[in-house]
Amino acid sequence: MIELRNIYKRYQTDHGAGPWVLRDIQLMIPKNTNVGLIGRNGAGKSTLLRLIGGADQPTRGEVVRACRVSWPMGFGGGLQGSLSGRQNAKFICRIHGQQDNMGPILDRIQTFAEIGRYFDEPVKTYSSGMKSRLQFALSLAFDFDVYISDEVTSTGDAAFQAKAAKAFKDLVGRSSLIMTSHSATTLKQFCTAGIWLHEGQAHWFDRIDDALAAYQESISA
Amino acid sequence: MSRSAWRITWSVWHALLLREAVARMFSRRGAIIWLLMEPVSQIGFMVAMFGLIRATHVGGMDTALWLTSGMLAFFLFRRVATQGAAAIGANLALYTYRQVRPVDTVLVRSWLEGLVMLLTAVIVFAGEALLGVHLQLEDPLLVLNAILGLWLLGLGWGLAASVASELIPEAKEILNLAMMPLMVISGAVFPLAAIPHGWREWVMFNPIAHGVEAVRAGISPYYHHAPEMSMGFLYACTLVLIFLGLALQARFRSRLISL
Repeated sequence: MIELRNIYKRYQTDHGAGPWVLRDIQLMIPKNTNVGLIGRNGAGKSTLLRLIGGADQPTRGEVVRACRVSWPMGFGGGLQGSLSGRQNAKFICRIHGQQDNMGPILDRIQTFAEIGRYFDEPVKTYSSGMKSRLQFALSLAFDFDVYISDEVTSTGDAAFQAKAAKAFKDLVGRSSLIMTSHSATTLKQFCTAGIWLHEGQAHWFDRIDDALAAYQESISA
Repeated sequence: MSRSAWRITWSVWHALLLREAVARMFSRRGAIIWLLMEPVSQIGFMVAMFGLIRATHVGGMDTALWLTSGMLAFFLFRRVATQGAAAIGANLALYTYRQVRPVDTVLVRSWLEGLVMLLTAVIVFAGEALLGVHLQLEDPLLVLNAILGLWLLGLGWGLAASVASELIPEAKEILNLAMMPLMVISGAVFPLAAIPHGWREWVMFNPIAHGVEAVRAGISPYYHHAPEMSMGFLYACTLVLIFLGLALQARFRSRLISL
């Protein structure tokens, strides 16, 4: 279970404090529920995911993680370009305290990512699809209770998307997923519940269809 | 996977150290050679210059030894300080993992640079021994004390400067510009004892000068160091700088991870 208590977030800009991106968000994300995050560009979806994953801190309020939460995967974050995929993977194993069974984990990552010999090439030589394959494989190699995915499935090719979909399906019952996507089909495929972000506020829907409907209504109005 | 805060920090330091070491030594062709070449060429150049003006002794100490010890002492500070100052900016991608804090990258880099400088010093002195310049330690404890003080001073500088150079764009340039004059007024290539009384007190407000002079005083029993030299002053400055640096790191942590 993840609890967001009175979360406020704004970023520092060159002209002082920016506008509030998120205002007074209170949410309880229950265990074993796949949640889709919906909202227009700039609504704060990525910001919220980063806060949940701990990659960023709220300006006010706190995030309580009563379970193992992955880092937010997406957009090449967390990979050092000058190091190879393997070296990046080793680093992540080590900071998660898994250096003693690094061998099997690296094998799992290499098998899942299917980037062949590029696994030993610097990450800066990867295409965006290869990067998201690697990121996806990296986070799946660890047993988290909640995986956070920021559009990570959208950059891959059809084969990868099918593989990702299967991996997500296999997680059901064991772990859950918090994800964003601009594709309603993807969201419907994976998520049961939805969060609609609108004007800095978060609205919880027990059914993803209701969340999508609310979002559709807001952009057509 | 429930780990104590200390265990998490420890594994982050371990992971960062290995990663930084790989990046530092194998990032480009012959990186290890270049790591050595920078101090060696600068020291070699200065020794040649002093030889040209036929200065065989400075303050009662062999010139080559005087230059080598002073410059290496200063380089220890400079390396740790500048590499530490760049640590936060160089590792922005890693703050995606909530286990990694900006301060960790500075601490790990300072440790690594200290080790690299220690290795460099061993190689340089070994090379000089082959050329007939023999290093003998008159007071090994004073040398160790001074080295530790200079390392800690570099760490404090790195902790404070890394925050400043991320939050204030101009700070990075200004702090880097300061390094060149610092080398001169720290007495690395210039005998501080030769500055007339009345001016020297001002120069000795610079804590690096105390460390550089103490290293030489610990090496040679006959060396006339600047009379104001004080380990207490060096460590007091170190303490203030490290405290300031840690306070800045704590205060601006959330700004730094969302850069």
